[in-house]
Amino acid sequence: MKSIVLSSVVAALLVFSGCSSKDPVVDSKAQEIEAPVAQEVEGVKTETVSVDDSMIESQTEGMSMSDIENKLSPIYFAFDKFNISAQMQEKISAAAAIGKEEASSFSVKLEGNCDEWGSDEYNFALGLKRADAVKKALVAEGIDASRVSMVSYGESNPVCTEKTRECWSKNRRVNFKLLP
Amino acid sequence: MKIIFSILMLISLSFATDATIEVVKKVDSLPSLAIEDASINYDDTFKMQFFKSLVADLNVISIFNVDRNHRVTHYNNSYVAVENKDMNYVLRYRLHEGDNGSLNVTMKLISTNKELFSKSYKVSKKNIFMFVSHAMAYDINEYMGEPSVEWMKRKVVFSRIVAPKISEIVIADYTLAYQHVIIKGGFNIFPKWANRAQDAFYYTSLDSSTPTLKRVDIKNSKVTNIISSDGMMVCSDVSADGKTLLLTMAKEGQPDIYTYNTQTKKYKRETTYGGIDVGAQFMSRDTIVFVSSRLGYPNIFSKKLDTNEVEQLVHYGRSNSACSAHGEYVVYKARESSDAFSQNTFNLHLISTKTTFIRRLTAVGVNEFPRFSKDGDAIIFIKNYKAQSSIGIIRLNHNKNYLFPLKYGKLQSMDW
Repeated sequence: MKSIVLSSVVAALLVFSGCSSKDPVVDSKAQEIEAPVAQEVEGVKTETVSVDDSMIESQTEGMSMSDIENKLSPIYFAFDKFNISAQMQEKISAAAAIGKEEASSFSVKLEGNCDEWGSDEYNFALGLKRADAVKKALVAEGIDASRVSMVSYGESNPVCTEKTRECWSKNRRVNFKLLP
Repeated sequence: MKIIFSILMLISLSFATDATIEVVKKVDSLPSLAIEDASINYDDTFKMQFFKSLVADLNVISIFNVDRNHRVTHYNNSYVAVENKDMNYVLRYRLHEGDNGSLNVTMKLISTNKELFSKSYKVSKKNIFMFVSHAMAYDINEYMGEPSVEWMKRKVVFSRIVAPKISEIVIADYTLAYQHVIIKGGFNIFPKWANRAQDAFYYTSLDSSTPTLKRVDIKNSKVTNIISSDGMMVCSDVSADGKTLLLTMAKEGQPDIYTYNTQTKKYKRETTYGGIDVGAQFMSRDTIVFVSSRLGYPNIFSKKLDTNEVEQLVHYGRSNSACSAHGEYVVYKARESSDAFSQNTFNLHLISTKTTFIRRLTAVGVNEFPRFSKDGDAIIFIKNYKAQSSIGIIRLNHNKNYLFPLKYGKLQSMDW
């Protein structure tokens, strides 16, 4: 009788130990696949690099894409706002003028950014509404809407990381990124 | 018969717990538990690592007053250590190394020198020891007949910003003691488990020209593109059966909530407000909660899918920009102060759709990204305080919060 009890306890322990080690086993599998997944992401990175390749080609045509990009100053916004101030409207008019001349052969990607107040989706949406406000203003200045694409980076792309008001105001911005 | 049934229903309803009411349990009133280490093999550093992990897990289950002294004994001693003779419970365990470096753990729970319960565990490598200590705490909690802490054994997937536009997606245990970087390089954010089994997850890739939602199958490392949208693309929630996704997309620069059927691969726009509608979470099969700026500031609303009925859920706070729902309960993030330099900027609050109570769950720092566990027993959240990012766990029915700090980087978002 005693041996039956003992062997059933051993059997139960084996079954339970099997259950308990289930999660870790999945994780050890996860470790095995690290390389392929990382490679995939590297692949995408290479795609972005190709933008720089075409930049070199365009240099022969006159001003390089990055030279023109440097002339397009960021558009800044007030805390928790996505409307464009009069001062910033002047910068957008200047950007639209460049868009119609030197940069007329390029498309533009508007990158919306926020300060560090929150990493949630609302902050990303705020960055996007900022990009959208700039897009609408550019279209009103005569830029073809099909040339303008948008992305929001939320708070994940700061230019300044100190915890000061000045620093945060520099991060609440829309950048112009030219695309061939 | 019906009458008896309805009386029983009434009784059970009136005794049902309301999580918005704080339960204040005195530490003294919890039974005491001491831990005895009877390990063979392994160095002292590893023994202490395991011991600390076990103490932390037993604290989190919130049913014992756990003694923090590390006592060493022999596994088969008939009596508990002298120092532990007045303890209500003693947990004795033994670590020993098996073939190919596997870690074997045996434990028994003792009370008044009688063995109540015992169990063995085995994992292939010793560096995943924390999963054993979580399983031990889980089993002791089950043995004691307490509500399940199933979430303890689940994995957390999170994204961490390491430099501007550079992030990592990491799979971890709930204490962040185990961390496995599954995607590195590039700009990938908002990871979300694709199913209950946690063998796949969705995330947003911002590396390509258009924000794209991708799905990673952990078993075979296959990455699939799901859907893209100009401007913004986030998978906010996945239905319990994994068939419906709640997405935030911004076709034409307008952030709105969409449902996406993973089988037909068709999407449907669910909100049409001209401002911001984001962050939808399933409340039930056909109802969602979400964040909207339709009152001029971010606040929490609910909507019945397939109808146009939108209802304001939260009537407190001037800026409530994230939420999670479980049954009748909604946890949301509220901005407490417009002074960015205040110590107390964002806190989490809990409401019930059936009562008017509001329970504040956190006190200091920036607390955000609340997520209910699948069983509603706990809430996980991100806390940023004094340049330190942590994952927090709130045990609602025990009125306790636990923090697990991140060693480097800033937590961007997570799911469990």
